[in-house]
Amino acid sequence: MIDASTRVPVLVFYTSAIAWLIIGTILAGLVSFKLHSPDLLSGVSFLTWGRLRPAHMNIMVYGWASMAGIGTAIWIMARLCRTVLRYPLLLVAGSGFWNLGVLLGAGAILFGDSTGYQWLEFPRYAAIILFVAYSVVASWAVLMFRHRRGEQIYITQWYLLGALLWFPWLYAAGQLMLFVVPVEGVLQSAVAWWYANNLLFLWFGAIGLGVAYYMIPKVIGRPVYSYHLATIGFWTYALFSSWTGMTRLVDGPFPAWMITASIAATILTLIPVATVGLNHHMTMQGYFPLLRYSPTLRFTVFGAMSYTVFSVVGIIISLRSVARYVNFTQVSIGYSHLGLYAFFTMVIFGSMYYIVPRLVGREWRYATLIKLHFWASAYGIGLMILMLLAGGFLQGADMQNPSLPFSESVETVLPYLRGRSLAGVLLAAAHFIFAYHFGLMLLGLGRQSTVPTFLNPVEAEESEPH
Amino acid sequence: MKGLAPLFLGIFGTFAFSWVGLTVIPNWQIGHLNPQSDEEGTDVYPQPQSGMAIRGARLYAANGCVYCHSQQVRPEYIANDIERNWGSRRSAPRDYIFQRPVFLGNMRMGPDLANVGARAPQEQKISASGGGSGSSPGSGQPGSTRVQAQSGPASTAAASPATAGAGSPAATKPAATPAPQTSPSQGPPAVAGGAAQASSPTASPAPWPIRTEGLPPMYSAAWHHVHLYSPRLINPDSNMPAYRFLYEKRRIVGERSEDALQLAAPDAPPEGWEIVPSYDAKCLVAYLMSLNQSHPLKEVRVGAPAAAAAASPAPGGQLPR
Amino acid sequence: MNDTTPTSELRPRQGMDYNEIADVQEVHAAVQREKREPRVGREPLSIWLIVVYGLAVFFGGAYLGRFSGNFSGDALDPYAGEMPTIKKVTGPQGAQQAAELSPFERGKKVFAANCQTCHQANGEGVPGQYPPLAGSEFTTGGSKRMAMLVLKGLQGPVKVKGQQYGTAVMQPWDKTLTDKQLADVITYERSDWGNKASPVTPEQIAALRKELANHPNSYTEPELLAVPDEDLPGGAAGAPPAGEAAKGGEPPKP
Repeated sequence: MIDASTRVPVLVFYTSAIAWLIIGTILAGLVSFKLHSPDLLSGVSFLTWGRLRPAHMNIMVYGWASMAGIGTAIWIMARLCRTVLRYPLLLVAGSGFWNLGVLLGAGAILFGDSTGYQWLEFPRYAAIILFVAYSVVASWAVLMFRHRRGEQIYITQWYLLGALLWFPWLYAAGQLMLFVVPVEGVLQSAVAWWYANNLLFLWFGAIGLGVAYYMIPKVIGRPVYSYHLATIGFWTYALFSSWTGMTRLVDGPFPAWMITASIAATILTLIPVATVGLNHHMTMQGYFPLLRYSPTLRFTVFGAMSYTVFSVVGIIISLRSVARYVNFTQVSIGYSHLGLYAFFTMVIFGSMYYIVPRLVGREWRYATLIKLHFWASAYGIGLMILMLLAGGFLQGADMQNPSLPFSESVETVLPYLRGRSLAGVLLAAAHFIFAYHFGLMLLGLGRQSTVPTFLNPVEAEESEPH
Repeated sequence: MKGLAPLFLGIFGTFAFSWVGLTVIPNWQIGHLNPQSDEEGTDVYPQPQSGMAIRGARLYAANGCVYCHSQQVRPEYIANDIERNWGSRRSAPRDYIFQRPVFLGNMRMGPDLANVGARAPQEQKISASGGGSGSSPGSGQPGSTRVQAQSGPASTAAASPATAGAGSPAATKPAATPAPQTSPSQGPPAVAGGAAQASSPTASPAPWPIRTEGLPPMYSAAWHHVHLYSPRLINPDSNMPAYRFLYEKRRIVGERSEDALQLAAPDAPPEGWEIVPSYDAKCLVAYLMSLNQSHPLKEVRVGAPAAAAAASPAPGGQLPR
Repeated sequence: MNDTTPTSELRPRQGMDYNEIADVQEVHAAVQREKREPRVGREPLSIWLIVVYGLAVFFGGAYLGRFSGNFSGDALDPYAGEMPTIKKVTGPQGAQQAAELSPFERGKKVFAANCQTCHQANGEGVPGQYPPLAGSEFTTGGSKRMAMLVLKGLQGPVKVKGQQYGTAVMQPWDKTLTDKQLADVITYERSDWGNKASPVTPEQIAALRKELANHPNSYTEPELLAVPDEDLPGGAAGAPPAGEAAKGGEPPKP
């Protein structure tokens, strides 16, 4: 069976990812609390806020999100290529190197070796290991693709292939232009944000969208609504999203055209957002009641809808007239988390709920835990984003008011930061629950059943979900 | 879609398009800027960072200062950075050509730092174009470490390098005593709670309810050390982390060392002990003191340096608010 | 498509064994509950979507066209044409909407950006260090000495309003400020804080520059005092346009 062949590599990636998720969540809690209670555990060099924050970001980005994304991508690629996974040891080796790279990098940051570029804080020795690890994974993907059967290349495969190729090119370009043959002056910032933005869209976004395109039709058993929409959606996504990097640097010391081009590209991302959103919506048309039952569907649809919200928020905050209020505020953090958590992480959770039973041959043991996970995550991220967007906007308004001293803006946002910490507690609960549940599955303690775990009891119907 | 080839070409093409457009072409446009100099070639701006400041920049990166502080001044028609005296003009690409890494930053939980060196008291300013020696102005005495005679507002050219560190405070000793903070003449800038006159004559009055008595002049090197060691000593509302691990506590041997931090209760060390900055701390402060973009650039229109034009007609000195 | 080989005991297994029972029933069930692999439908595009596309392209393109500053590497501001000089878009300042400022107002801005650090915004200077400008002999006397020392700088001891100064040095401004800026700031300093002295024009400054071209160094007090305390030659009378009327029109000092 194809699924059986994917078992070891995917589970290795998932286990590593979830371990990083827990570590990253603990760091996130510290980061959030220390921002409004700065004397908490202060004075220790490796716990200082300025090091915890990049450590948290990098662990979540490269440890949790990337590894979980790769795990899901492996499994889906095997399925869609309709071929047994070959060379599993390649992947296991890749994951080992990757873990080593993230560990070294995060340690380096905590002990004072961060490079200072956002999302590229890993020093060279860790970055190289990551790159090696990835090359191993990517070469596997190319090999699998060559062995595929079937004529048509399904939508998800476009996105996954794109992601798997874009990531190494991005990483290489970023490392080259910042560290190996460094560019001069402000271009360093431009390159760094081009990298970070494209990582978000061309790596995480592409995986997220691709997985959603697989999971939604698969779970409900209907075809995706329109091929043409999917095509347009994919290409416009790739074309426009990759140009939006400079919107984090609006009004900065750059030639105006760079910033304007990014803003124009952000406006144009209305096209893929509308397209993909419509496609998913029409596919789900009539099947929304299934959200009651299927955990995968719930998480995935939540993620897909969040993608729309994320993109719309992105368009609004990048316009110059709005940017002058939201630049330099917590809105930026809220926006990043909208994309990375509300969209990407929720879609990946959904995929994990789907895939893991097929790997371990057991079903998820407690529907209650799944429900708790979902609601804690949903409320947690909802609250967090609300706090950050609202607080950030108020912070920006205060900053723009020259009759107020600067510290007013900080005072204004503090209560929202405390609200965010509360949200963080919810998210932490969700992650611990999930990790525990996953651990049960790993130990073979899932339910033995032929019927998948539903969130609510299923009445007799013809078209069963899952 | 059938066929791997068109898919691959498309994937590659879209990536190449954004890479070329957003990194290669800008590199061609602004990637090889030279510093600006006047006709005699004497007033060269900017100057490369030197010595301790370079190491300080690495510490700035390593300790994540960029995640709360930006270093870019936005133009006056779009934001109020200049009104807040964070700079006399907007930042331009040429300001950053010798910096690596560049810390433009995109978060302001703390004020912008692009010109924090320009806000230092006169005697401690490292001239942006005279080639600051970058040596540590880390003396504990407020307003001291000034050597050279020239001390015009060092925001422009001709000031010779402030070779600080040798600390011959003769001329400025009178100003050196931490001044009492009452300054009725300063009127209340639009700030709650009593802005206080900073001790050094040229240092700006406190921008918000912060403490200045018993502390070095604002934005001097010694002040930076105190601020890094205990931010809430200076601004009780600050949420900046305390960087105590950059400092050492040791017994006073003989006389108090020149570097020792001027702290006040409750952070002052017990009798017989002093807190001194480590070399790392000195480098970080040297870096901060080197941040100065006040030198005019030809390509940047200084349309309306509306510094201090807001609020009150005659606030004392420049308010970095 | 999921393959359907049920007899798994005979197939070699990859990877770890999770205690799976190669039970035909179970495998069949696992297969049965899977739906088909996803496939795509062929619905055509809706016209409304095309409308959305059109709007996006229009606005995006218009934005790109308007704010790109001609795609030049030097254009830091997004407006291709003339920059709005004192455009306060947020408007809390209000007062400075005027496109044309008087010399007094311009001078005040130059003062704030360059002189205020030492001489303070109230013109009182710093005792013992920086001389005051309010009521000082130089600012209220003839404009020539004042212009000379602003242009070329001053060093050494100097006595102002009965107080001795000399620890600090005033830098020359001839290379940093233009004639117009120098004229504006000197005019401002001579008419604020209770000073009521003659204004100065850019032409006078230009002439003085030429005159002093061979004097590279800063002045000292004796040198300045050796110069007669008079105004600069040239039309000071009515020259500044609508000028000092901004703060109550002091007549030019003869």
